[in-house]
Amino acid sequence: MDTFIQALISGLIMGSVYAVMTMGLTLVYGCLRTLNMAQGLFGVAGGYVAWFIVSQAGLPSWLGIIGAALAGALLGVVTFYLAVRPLLGRKDVDFEMLAYITTLVVSIMLTSAFTLIFGARNKGIPPLLEGSLKITSTVSVTWHLVLVAMLALLILGALSLFLNRARYGLSIMAVAQQMDAARLNGVSVQSVYIGVMALAGVLGGMAGVLLAPLYFISPTAGDLPLLKGLIIAIFAGLGSIRGTIYAALILGLFEALAATYISSMWSLPLLFVLIVAVMLIRPNGLFGKPEEERL
Amino acid sequence: MLEVNSLSTGYGHTRILDRIELTVREHQLVVLTGPNGHGKTTLLRAISGLTPVWEGEVSFLDQRIDRARARVIVSRGLVHVPQGDLLFQDMTVEQNLLMGAFVKEAWRRRDERLARVYELFPRLKERRHQQCRTLSGGERRMAGLGRGLMGPARLLMIDEPALGLAPVLVQQLYSTLGEIARSEATILLVEETLSNAEQIADWVYVMENGRIVLEGTVPQVSSHEAMRSAYLGGEVE
Repeated sequence: MDTFIQALISGLIMGSVYAVMTMGLTLVYGCLRTLNMAQGLFGVAGGYVAWFIVSQAGLPSWLGIIGAALAGALLGVVTFYLAVRPLLGRKDVDFEMLAYITTLVVSIMLTSAFTLIFGARNKGIPPLLEGSLKITSTVSVTWHLVLVAMLALLILGALSLFLNRARYGLSIMAVAQQMDAARLNGVSVQSVYIGVMALAGVLGGMAGVLLAPLYFISPTAGDLPLLKGLIIAIFAGLGSIRGTIYAALILGLFEALAATYISSMWSLPLLFVLIVAVMLIRPNGLFGKPEEERL
Repeated sequence: MLEVNSLSTGYGHTRILDRIELTVREHQLVVLTGPNGHGKTTLLRAISGLTPVWEGEVSFLDQRIDRARARVIVSRGLVHVPQGDLLFQDMTVEQNLLMGAFVKEAWRRRDERLARVYELFPRLKERRHQQCRTLSGGERRMAGLGRGLMGPARLLMIDEPALGLAPVLVQQLYSTLGEIARSEATILLVEETLSNAEQIADWVYVMENGRIVLEGTVPQVSSHEAMRSAYLGGEVE
């Protein structure tokens, strides 16, 4: 029973971080119909910036989180101008496929750049908080993970308020759902694209800081999270915000339970089995809708 | 208020509109009619900046807008309510309405505008927290119009608001449009069936094959159309 509760807790916590990380993919796909393959590198960049601020410069960790968010936002905008902007409005171009490739190219370039700057060796950053919270005599959660869960919920809550209430947040959803109508309402689609890429960078960068103390930071540390993010995004139904949260929590739980009861070696292969099964039953994902034609 | 001079446009290499001349005066309700697929919607899209203008000029409140972007045009007070509503399906009714007030100047007055739209369409107030995907056809039309009214509209261009509605709803809708025209904004209305709007129209343009073939008051246009059908065998409702 205790092991089950332990798995449940860590699964939900990891799921909430996955939700933050994947939300970047979901928002960008929703607005731009692009799978942003550089999303994992936003997290790596966030990790490196936090490592520099916290481990090297010895500054407080909240500065590390802010620095990571800013670095992510900057990379998001750079990715937009490098990989997406040149393809927009071109005739006879398969935008979705090309942007997938160009963002992949950006992620490879960033990986090389990080290797040049920081070297290939793993960097570690200390947990944001030391110690752990005892729930029962055998179940405990590190304070770092508690903080991670709270920050993840805070980020998701703030994001939800922003998207549902704020003028600019509403315009992001509007562009994702009906681009022509958004333009007729006075939205500049281009600035929404830039904003949404910056937002994806912020989310990726913050997820990077939250995950970095659990793993190590290396130039390729973003590959596995990106893979999981893609699985979650597809599982959720590409572009679905609500679906992303559910799918992330389900996958976090699934992973934790598989690691506890089978073996952590099997959790990723089993994830693939799960996603294939879901695709067979619901080809558009949990909350996905068949694609409507865009003008 | 709105002047279209010799406007031509199309899609790809296909010319849809040929040297359109059209004028809308302030406080009027102008109807653009004609058979489907003859360019009425394209004209609205060209005026509001969704479709590039090939040749000719469009002026709104004495300023050229034929090269302006859609968002600049709407912020000057020319609001386009598109055909088929084009609602934001997964947003609530109220969120859709708020998007209509996206232009900064309108956003500041959004509460006041929201109250006015709910007064015109009480049904929308009942449904305000519902997703637009769940609305009935009539409610969707109200939401589309309401979103247009949230904007800074001095001129509203409304494309086929009666399309697909039951006759009783059409009547209601057109009496509301008449009210809007009297109290809120000048209206340019695209309507395939002139009889729907004949009670409220001040001036009528008839478009065929991408050209304006006739203009005048409702009696003038109807008598001309009746004569044409009698002598040339054209179609008349």
